[in-house]
Amino acid sequence: MTAPWNDGIREFVLAFADDEHLMGQQHAEWIGVAPFLEEDLAFCSIGQDELGHAASLYALVAGEGDGGEVDDRAIDALAFDSDPTRWRSCHLVEMPTPDWAHALVRHWLYDAAEELRWQLVAESALEPLAEAAIRADREEWFHRRHADGLLDVLLSDPEAGPRLQAALVDLLPIAVGLFAPVAGEAAAVDADVAAAPFDTRLPVWANRIRDRFAIDAIVPGVDAACSGRTIRSEHFEPMLSRMREVLVLDPAAVW
Amino acid sequence: MRRYEVFLKKDGRDEHRHAGSLDAPDDAMALVLAREAYLRRAEGDRLWLVCRDHLIVGAPEFVAPNADKPHRHNDGERIAGRRRRLREEGLPRKEDSA
Repeated sequence: MTAPWNDGIREFVLAFADDEHLMGQQHAEWIGVAPFLEEDLAFCSIGQDELGHAASLYALVAGEGDGGEVDDRAIDALAFDSDPTRWRSCHLVEMPTPDWAHALVRHWLYDAAEELRWQLVAESALEPLAEAAIRADREEWFHRRHADGLLDVLLSDPEAGPRLQAALVDLLPIAVGLFAPVAGEAAAVDADVAAAPFDTRLPVWANRIRDRFAIDAIVPGVDAACSGRTIRSEHFEPMLSRMREVLVLDPAAVW
Repeated sequence: MRRYEVFLKKDGRDEHRHAGSLDAPDDAMALVLAREAYLRRAEGDRLWLVCRDHLIVGAPEFVAPNADKPHRHNDGERIAGRRRRLREEGLPRKEDSA
């Protein structure tokens, strides 16, 4: 049986890769400035894991669905593509966080959704994707434990608690965009690459938010105006420039 | 924040060895953070954390070495000197008389 692959599936995997890549990148921007040394190490480890997931997903895209070895330069070409129209990231992972409370809440929100996202491809007809899901599951367990461990301590704190709740209110409308589908998702579901559209898991995620933050939060639906993730937020361009900063110093260099 | 002492054990015959210390808000977070601070590159497969509050600490003046008690240092010098002297004097040693 040949592995399923077409433009829709490619876009579906690409969107997942872009989210993982930019989330890892965002976490990495806290290196050296996280609240304390131990957290600095743990948070950048988590970012590194996300970058690893992104690399395996980009490799799948670069190899046209084949799980074999792919030249690192093919992965870089996707990961550092200067053309904004090729990107399918959600806006949550494009925005900088003004403070640690936002970074921590985003970490929790993202990883709670990511667990559900990997579950949908755990038995993917695209075998390398199912294998990536197994590896990711091991690492994601640790990410959730980290985020929950901090929230266990901080949500009941009289100073930190309200700041975290305020960050949640800020982030929720943007975070829900994680579930926004690309046009190609339908093709991925048709081919059993994914078990179901990601937004079918939105109610599960919403319940976890209510349990975690002990609030009766109204989780908005996916905005129909997201246009299949083809529109970049205002934060995308500055972020991409930061990521490409070293690359553009010497475009001919071989890394 | 609480301070924890971190002990790691490589597999096999090694004992747990002190690897360093760690700040964490509670026991659960100490485990999470220790894994990334001390076990990033598979430096061990067993981990002990001891909260410093639970350490029983001997004050330096209490554990000060008994610097003025040379007789407790059993370095064999006195016995060796005595045997050398006996040998040089040609006197029978204990084992010769048996």
